Amino acid sequence: MATDSVRLIASLHRNGISLDLKTVDLCFLVALYTRAKDKALTCFEEDVIVDVFEQVCELVEPGAENPRKRATHAIQRLREQRLLSRVDGVGIMRAGEYALTSLAAAIIDFFMQDETLTRESLTLLTKTLLASLSEIKAAARNTTTPDEWRSSVVSPLRVTVGDLVAGIERRQRGLDAQQEEVQRRIAELLQADWFAAVDQCQALLDDTTATLAELNAVLLHDTNQMQGLLQDVEHLATARGATDAEEAIRRVSEQVDRVAAWGSTRQRAWSEYYQYVHRFLRDVVRLDPGRALSERLRSQLVGWVENPFFLVSAGANSIRLLREVDARVHRPPVVRPKSDREAPLEEVFPDLEPMELEERVHEALARALRTLAAVVAEVLPHLPAQRRFVAIGRIAARVATDANPRSARQRPWVQVPGEIQIEDWELPGGNNR
Amino acid sequence: MKEAPFARLEDVIRDPLFPELDVALRQGRHIDRDEADRYAFLLDAQTHLEIFYRRYGCELMHASDGYFYLLPRGDQLGRRHLTAGEMLVGQVLALMYLEPSAVQAGGAVGTAQLVARLVGLVGERELIRALNPRRKKYDERVAQETVRLEIGKALRGLWRLGFVEQLDDERLRLRAPLLRFAEPVRGVEDRVTTLERLLSEGKAAQAPSVDDEETEDES
Repeated sequence: MATDSVRLIASLHRNGISLDLKTVDLCFLVALYTRAKDKALTCFEEDVIVDVFEQVCELVEPGAENPRKRATHAIQRLREQRLLSRVDGVGIMRAGEYALTSLAAAIIDFFMQDETLTRESLTLLTKTLLASLSEIKAAARNTTTPDEWRSSVVSPLRVTVGDLVAGIERRQRGLDAQQEEVQRRIAELLQADWFAAVDQCQALLDDTTATLAELNAVLLHDTNQMQGLLQDVEHLATARGATDAEEAIRRVSEQVDRVAAWGSTRQRAWSEYYQYVHRFLRDVVRLDPGRALSERLRSQLVGWVENPFFLVSAGANSIRLLREVDARVHRPPVVRPKSDREAPLEEVFPDLEPMELEERVHEALARALRTLAAVVAEVLPHLPAQRRFVAIGRIAARVATDANPRSARQRPWVQVPGEIQIEDWELPGGNNR
Repeated sequence: MKEAPFARLEDVIRDPLFPELDVALRQGRHIDRDEADRYAFLLDAQTHLEIFYRRYGCELMHASDGYFYLLPRGDQLGRRHLTAGEMLVGQVLALMYLEPSAVQAGGAVGTAQLVARLVGLVGERELIRALNPRRKKYDERVAQETVRLEIGKALRGLWRLGFVEQLDDERLRLRAPLLRFAEPVRGVEDRVTTLERLLSEGKAAQAPSVDDEETEDES
């Protein structure tokens, strides 16, 4: 997405811009627009606006109460949505003057425009376009300075040619809308008159088909010429290093491509629609002029659950394609490289420390010491300082197993050798030293 | 006098279109004018192919509405009956095909529109009963979910058989073979007589075959 459009979207979102127009508002805008056009007005006095609103109200909502109050609200709504702007700038000094904004004009244009592409309008536009491009090409030949390129080539391409191509595109959109209208009209005619509408439907189909074929022929012929001229100008621009001009040419060239593509895609789409409707008229409408078939099919469907039947069709399974057979290849089994799992034996001296510790604890308990702290104090001096902390745990485990110790709820903390304190237990049947 | 496009059956079989078309026909596909190349090929090769398929116990049918399909008469080639879902959805689509409202969009209809018509014409209870045939008691929410699934399955089946063309997730284009669903009510005879004729000709059956039911259960 282009940066400009992203910025615009962000700003619309940030400011919470929205449009909320009721039918009466739209009618009001159209009435103002028509009044301005008929009387060549550039702005409206407040009284005139209120009068116009009352007239619109009478037309679309006859009998509505308090139209003047509603007019005030309508003007406020339109001003808030930037569809009507006050242009006098005198504030509260006197009643204001108002004008329709370009947003209002665009909305009204959408509903009022009847610009569609016809052979005449298309031919006129394409010929004018070709003439402009020829002039630009001639100017490009004699241009040397960047300023000259800008004024003689880039600006005409952006403004004149761009507007002309945009004009064709606008009319193409008009013709698209007209085609939709034709499709709707055909459906309505068939709905209303069925068999009697066949000739009218056929005429509508043929008219649009002829129009599209003519337009496509003109477009194919003229867009080719346009692309040829644009290519010539592009060569000149490349040779003189005019990058602005190259960019402008590319943009116009894309627009021309779009115009040409419209012709072929619409003709193809219409051709499909034409064939469908033509078949419908021939196979359905002409063969069932009284629409009896629809009625009978509806009855069949409604009663189908009670009296079912099932259509039969062929149902061969898909052909099974067997996998290509390859000559058998010997695949060696996946194995781990062989290694000697028997690790070599090494001579290790037995760790006698736990046994010695256990023996000392037994000796201490045999001397009937009365507390755990006494046992620890007896045993620890035989051990190096760095192993005393771990040894205390082992001593406690041994004492717990062999001496059935008792413990108060609040066990006293007692200092033992090696700047360590332990929670003490009493040992029944022991002698405290 | 116009020369026949294919002098011999061999020429038909050698045509690059033949293999895929043959497979499609054997799988039950209906080929109409929308498939322009295949339809034109079948028109040109019709005489040879009618004899060819008769040897497999099949009839190459060419309906006056402009479509071909293969109808098995014996057991040499597989056959299938359309499911209850396909029959119900197919009939509603045929009805829509006959209506002017479909003309505006060139034969394209929305699936939501289809479901609404189906419920409107058949009724919700009947629809649930037809598409949940084995369940005597059912939870309404589960049954509705099953109906939606069955409709989706039916649409996929009808698309594979060439009755409709899937345009996107929400829309499909109706095609001429849908008029097969209206065959029992097209003739000058009454519906019962026409249906009996269709049954005797093997174009329709009165109950889904056991195979079909099993297939439905499996899926």
